[in-house]
Amino acid sequence: MSRHFKCPETRAQAPATRRFNNSGTWRRLAAGIGFAAFFAMPAQAGIPAPFAPVVIQPVGAPGRAEFDLTAVLERARRENKWLYVYLGASDCPYCRKYEAFLEKNAVELVPHFSRYIVVDLRSSLSVTTDALFIRIADTSRPYVEFQKSIGDERTRTVVYPSVWLLDGKPKPLMQLPAGTGTFQTVAEQLEILRLEQ
Amino acid sequence: MSITILTRRGLFLAAIAILLGVSALNAIAQPGGLPTNVKHTDSSPEWDQLREKLFPGRRMESAASLVQLVVPLRAAYGASVPVRIVSKLPQSEALYVKRITLLVDKNPSPVSAVLELTPGLGQADFETRLRVDEYSHIRVVSELSNGELHTDSRYVKVSGGCSAPPNRDQLHNIGKTILKLPEGIKPNEPTPLDLQVVHPNDTGFEMNQISLLYIPAHFVRAIRVTYAGRPLFDAELDFSISENPAFRFNFVPGAGGELKAEVVDSKEGRYVATLQVP
Repeated sequence: MSRHFKCPETRAQAPATRRFNNSGTWRRLAAGIGFAAFFAMPAQAGIPAPFAPVVIQPVGAPGRAEFDLTAVLERARRENKWLYVYLGASDCPYCRKYEAFLEKNAVELVPHFSRYIVVDLRSSLSVTTDALFIRIADTSRPYVEFQKSIGDERTRTVVYPSVWLLDGKPKPLMQLPAGTGTFQTVAEQLEILRLEQ
Repeated sequence: MSITILTRRGLFLAAIAILLGVSALNAIAQPGGLPTNVKHTDSSPEWDQLREKLFPGRRMESAASLVQLVVPLRAAYGASVPVRIVSKLPQSEALYVKRITLLVDKNPSPVSAVLELTPGLGQADFETRLRVDEYSHIRVVSELSNGELHTDSRYVKVSGGCSAPPNRDQLHNIGKTILKLPEGIKPNEPTPLDLQVVHPNDTGFEMNQISLLYIPAHFVRAIRVTYAGRPLFDAELDFSISENPAFRFNFVPGAGGELKAEVVDSKEGRYVATLQVP
């Protein structure tokens, strides 16, 4: 069985799509819904601009996506700040949902992010557990090894979206859950930022 | 004509679709939906019922409780929430914790573990990992040898623990049971002991992602641990214990003897581990 995990909506949507295909009317309706949904989504994937994210694009050959945290970690140490590292995928509906939540509540939330440098790792669902690498200085580690090296329990599979709260070492300030579904209210996002356990 | 029909219908349908699509998206985009403003000490409808069934009419001490539950508000995975039970009195023949009941209010089967304890533990502290299916209270009830009940609870924000995609990496090792002394021997003092059973602890709610069939329940249902032939504890367990069930607890090394763990699963698989204590 594959150890890789993608957004689970894809499989759930398949039967509905087949039913729509049985009728031209339904096909047009489905197309319309998709059209509407497309325009209703944020124009660009990623953390909204008010959070002043440092965007990091992956580098590497096909089958390998490496994100380099060296510069943001140096900045965090220099400015005595923590990192709010967000891993999103361009084709992940749950990522859009979290980003939409941030955008909608930016006025309220941004002041509470002042202790953090927000880092936006731009990935895609095709980048699975074995293909994701994190580089710090001269060392590039695959996802699972990176997680073990910093003491993060999320070592099983990459989940999109994911968030890390890191200090400058980098060590997790708090163990976070896989996904962002448990902090998509303002109150819960603030719990996370305040490191409430 | 077809173009005209398509255009009119198309426009009409597109208008409906936009309305539907936008409103659907708004509905999806509504944050929350799960109760978040809940206190650790709150009750729940499930707990009200369970309490009446399991401990009818009995008083429970919570404010000055002799048991404490340590659980993070959020965990890495709902299928593996670390739980620590801390007892605030030592185990002695005169007064000891004789039974611990561990519950997850909103799990499909809320009673996760019932542990029958003896003074031989020295200190009735336990650590394990639980599956938590949705935002829920986790509770512990300690029954002392004098009949008093003490309780503590924590609200946790995790979900999906009972239906998480199973890890099938170690099926060839199923039942492999290991006893370890992580801190060595502390003569005549409570000494930590680790017990781990390699077992998928399938809940019956996990779907095989390839066949799309549910995997039948198959979990560790009982553990007995003895030292030098005397019982330390008996555990009656449920699938709420995470895969590869692991427990940390204490025992008091005396003149030496054999530590023995006997494990039985829900398909009558029987497994044994021993460890000689000098």
